Amino acid sequence: MKRLLLACIAVLFLSANCPAADLLIFSGAGLIKPMEEMRANFEAAHQIEANVHYGSSGEIFAGVAAGQPCDVLIPGAEKYTQDALKNGWVIEDTITRLVLHMPVIAVPHGNPAGIQGLLDLARSGVRVAIGDPKAPAIGRVAKKILEKAGIWEKVTPNIKVYAPTVNQLLIYVALKQVDAGIIWADLVTWAEGEGKLEVVPIEKQYNNIMTIPTAVCTQAPHKDLALKFNAYLASPEGMAIWKKWGFEPCAK
Amino acid sequence: MRKINVFQACFTSVTLIISLVLLMAVGSLFVVPSWEDIRQNIWAPEMRFAIRLSVLTGLTSTLLVMIFALPMGYTLSRFHFWGKGLVKTIIDMPIAFPELVLGLCLLLLFGNTFVGKALSSVGLDFVFTKKGIVAAQFFTALPYAIRIMKSTFDYINPRMEFVSRSLGYSMFETFRNISLPLAKNGILASTVISFARCIGTFGTVLILAGGSYMKTEILPITLYLNISYGNMGMALTSGIVLMVVSFLAIFIFEKAEVGI
Repeated sequence: MKRLLLACIAVLFLSANCPAADLLIFSGAGLIKPMEEMRANFEAAHQIEANVHYGSSGEIFAGVAAGQPCDVLIPGAEKYTQDALKNGWVIEDTITRLVLHMPVIAVPHGNPAGIQGLLDLARSGVRVAIGDPKAPAIGRVAKKILEKAGIWEKVTPNIKVYAPTVNQLLIYVALKQVDAGIIWADLVTWAEGEGKLEVVPIEKQYNNIMTIPTAVCTQAPHKDLALKFNAYLASPEGMAIWKKWGFEPCAK
Repeated sequence: MRKINVFQACFTSVTLIISLVLLMAVGSLFVVPSWEDIRQNIWAPEMRFAIRLSVLTGLTSTLLVMIFALPMGYTLSRFHFWGKGLVKTIIDMPIAFPELVLGLCLLLLFGNTFVGKALSSVGLDFVFTKKGIVAAQFFTALPYAIRIMKSTFDYINPRMEFVSRSLGYSMFETFRNISLPLAKNGILASTVISFARCIGTFGTVLILAGGSYMKTEILPITLYLNISYGNMGMALTSGIVLMVVSFLAIFIFEKAEVGI
């Protein structure tokens, strides 16, 4: 018993004293799959330890605002990086547009409601799921898209659920609880949805495509490595990883 | 003598310290927002909707839970049948696994299976609906109610029932006229705990009923949604309302327990 207690205390001390990371990255939670792969590669190439903090874009932005130490900031939408630039938190020259964050219509395998495009969501009897317009970015974007197409009023009665998180949205479509959901294209390629979902693109004139940028923070504690990682994200090797996880590169 | 005192002092101080930390945690919920803020938030349409829906679904589910918990608790306490151990384990299962898992299981069952289709053909549609909230609360609270009812019946001396039977009451009459009145406090405790559990059910409701703003929004969902909206005032207010409800429930429960 005594030994067990001592071991517990030892573990507590050790974990408290674990070496500080050599690189601090703040990333949007939706980018976790490619980011984890690139982090592992970068760590191996430079023999360092990187720490990635995942959160919603608003949350990581607030973290930087509150003065949390951060080297590289990669939010889910460019708006946040531009706001950070205005406040002088990121270095302008380092801002690089990486990939597109593209909303698409996800339908269950076999497309039971025969959705061909955005306007089909307004058809009566179609069960639609979107993100809560006040919570995840995809919810706000979905509402914007439907409004742009002028069918928001017609689609509202079809919306069976406003999901508070994007992953819930994915589950409902994959389990055929709804006929269609508006979701990020890259999420659909995640292993979870594989084979259970099909993608119907949203017509260009209605779509609201976001770009994901990266930038090095002005107050970066490890500026050298930060610049290297920032460049790595946009390198051909990095781009291959983004593509693998379903992100489309920005047109140069 | 001195040894006992040290022992007693240690145990008491541990109890007091942890209670103090808990009290401080609970208290901080009340200290942070201003009263004006709380008053405004309670009258907001979103909050009124959530409170009304919570109370309505909570009461319905509690009633249903008790209707099922009484015979089930009695069965587990009095009757012996093949596979009873397994049945007990199955009934207790939802206590052990997370609400989210339970929600996912119910979603799968009521979704696109023949069970779900059969139920929705008789008007029982559980996915993304208010009925779904009741179903989610029912399955979350039921195991607790059954447990309390079982131990209540365990404590009632079967001799009373034997005497009643020997004096000519049937099994059902014995249950109604002897066992139920004796189990009065247990029934009250079980009802109160079920109600508190139903009102507090979050994960199961979130998955099965969707947790949509002003549609299937019960109090814990209000708390969750408003945290993700960044509206701390509303989140704190729903936390306070939930806290008051569960405090009252526990208070009644403790009172009833004294009587057992």
